[in-house]
Amino acid sequence: MRIARFLLAFVLLCSMTSAVRAEAKKKSVLNLFCWSEYVPQDVIDGFTKETGIKVNVENYASNEEMLSKLLAAGGKYDLIQPSEYTIEALVKADKLAPLNLENIPNIKNLDPAYTKLPHDPEGKYSVPWMAGSVGIVINTAKVKTPVTGYKDVFSGAHKKRIVVLNDSREIVSWALSSLGLPINDITPESLEKAKPVLAEWLPQVRVYDSDSPKTALLNGNVDVGIVWSGEAAILFKKNKKFQYVLPAEGAHRFIDSLAVPKGAANQENAEKFINYILKPEVSVKISDAFPYTNPNAEARKLLTKAQLANPASYPPGDPKLETFKDIGKVAADIDKLVTDLKNAKGK
Amino acid sequence: MVSDCRRRPGWLGWMLMTPMLAWLVAFVIAPTLILAVYSFCQRDELGQVVYHFSWENYRRIFIDSDTGRLGTVYLDVFLRSLSYAGLTTGICLVVGYPVAWFIGRAHPGRRNLLLTLVMIPFLTNFLIRTYAWMTILSENGILNGFLGYMHIATSFDMLYTPGAVVLGLAYTYLPFMILPVYGSVEKLDPALVEAALDLGANPFRVFQKVIIPLTFPGIFAGVLLVFIPAIGMFAVAQLMGGGVDPTIGEVIQNQFFSARDWPFGSALGMMLMLLFGVFFWAGARWWKTAAE
Repeated sequence: MRIARFLLAFVLLCSMTSAVRAEAKKKSVLNLFCWSEYVPQDVIDGFTKETGIKVNVENYASNEEMLSKLLAAGGKYDLIQPSEYTIEALVKADKLAPLNLENIPNIKNLDPAYTKLPHDPEGKYSVPWMAGSVGIVINTAKVKTPVTGYKDVFSGAHKKRIVVLNDSREIVSWALSSLGLPINDITPESLEKAKPVLAEWLPQVRVYDSDSPKTALLNGNVDVGIVWSGEAAILFKKNKKFQYVLPAEGAHRFIDSLAVPKGAANQENAEKFINYILKPEVSVKISDAFPYTNPNAEARKLLTKAQLANPASYPPGDPKLETFKDIGKVAADIDKLVTDLKNAKGK
Repeated sequence: MVSDCRRRPGWLGWMLMTPMLAWLVAFVIAPTLILAVYSFCQRDELGQVVYHFSWENYRRIFIDSDTGRLGTVYLDVFLRSLSYAGLTTGICLVVGYPVAWFIGRAHPGRRNLLLTLVMIPFLTNFLIRTYAWMTILSENGILNGFLGYMHIATSFDMLYTPGAVVLGLAYTYLPFMILPVYGSVEKLDPALVEAALDLGANPFRVFQKVIIPLTFPGIFAGVLLVFIPAIGMFAVAQLMGGGVDPTIGEVIQNQFFSARDWPFGSALGMMLMLLFGVFFWAGARWWKTAAE
């Protein structure tokens, strides 16, 4: 019975997808596969209103989740929103379609600092959506000594008063930066050098949290954090005592972009969407909802003073920022190292 | 009658069993087989599973690749999870048994009300309840505020400690101890207790020789229902423990998300399942000998 019902559901589902496919041919649609809490609804509505193209949205919570769904259901999505290292991995595996830049004239609005980066050197496959960084948040009501880099965070003065992202690759890259080693060329030797640094750092951490590191800071359980810039921007908006500093040793900049998977049924519509969100007045709407760093130079001119003055969204000065590159299987070694050290500390 | 029970089920029996068998195949056997197959595979650069058979993932659990000798990292993680789960089970038993006894001995009209009170926390989402505990325990939280106000103690660290993890686990699983024990207590004939008392046993002896053996099925079920899920629970350890001391649930979750290493995560999952199997087998054996 169950099997029969399952089969029935399956057949229905198949006919529905083929119906959607058929509809795709008749009417114009765009199947958008994007991060949750990252594409404002009024942007999607505005696009449909202007072009008549219906947008089907599906969300994911991590690059890894997106990868596994994309690889399992090829051709189902027209537009995806991967971060830089995932773009690189997808390009390497030949899973992205080159964009027809003639359809995207608004690309001229982008700040050149955010285009043609190492993950997509020719700018052929991806168009930046929003950028951000990983940096240090300090509760200046509690911490009076200056903190400028990772070494100050882990000097011992803030022992057990620190929250960091629960992300092995991030943590290891901070140790490598503090040693002056490259964060994208990770070898067994460089991990060996990072090990004693991390062995000293990790016991000082009070909380590991990637989802909402701001909570521990807001609750007063910790005074210092190494967190996503978006989290820091929200903290700063709530209370100016939370100051954001980009580490002097160098910091990770992430660039979430739009890209078209190979075999997409509606590539032209995807390009129309990319062109639409690159309009300054549309891009501003995204900044209003999600205070990351907007790579659109024309849109930035339209932002309010308060938005531009938020140091977590638009860090002052000329910080040392670097994007991540795909490291493939070394990820397993990194995970082992961090699990190992967390555990050694727990004993 | 015995021969009747042992007869092979007829077509009607199989028909009636089909939904259960389908459920077992779809949600227990098939996923376990997939896990077993993955645990012997490798991952490629993109994190996809490559069907290349090897023992490497199991080797990685026991052998430290740096030294080539027996590695204790994952063993320690297992042991930590076991000790959290063991403590949780102990606390649930000590707290839950009297509660179950009280409800089971209460006036029949009141039992349903009391049981509803036990179930009420389930009406709220588990994550919200966990966040509520975080608000209570955090440094600027309710409990520290109260202790400071009463001049009992100045603020001290409660959240993000192993104690907080065990508290969170015990809170989450307590109803799973109370309900099965209640079931046994309710069935217990009070006349047996009275008889034991009349025959000269002191209350402690009555408890030891009459009450415990008669409610043992409930205790056993409660221990299993608390202990086994508590080993694998990762959300409480992550939220209330701050992810500082890794537990096996967190390590496995990590393999499937940030490390993108499904085969290794599967191997860890298989080991955990093996461990469950051993516990269940040992428990069942112990029960059998205790019953005899």
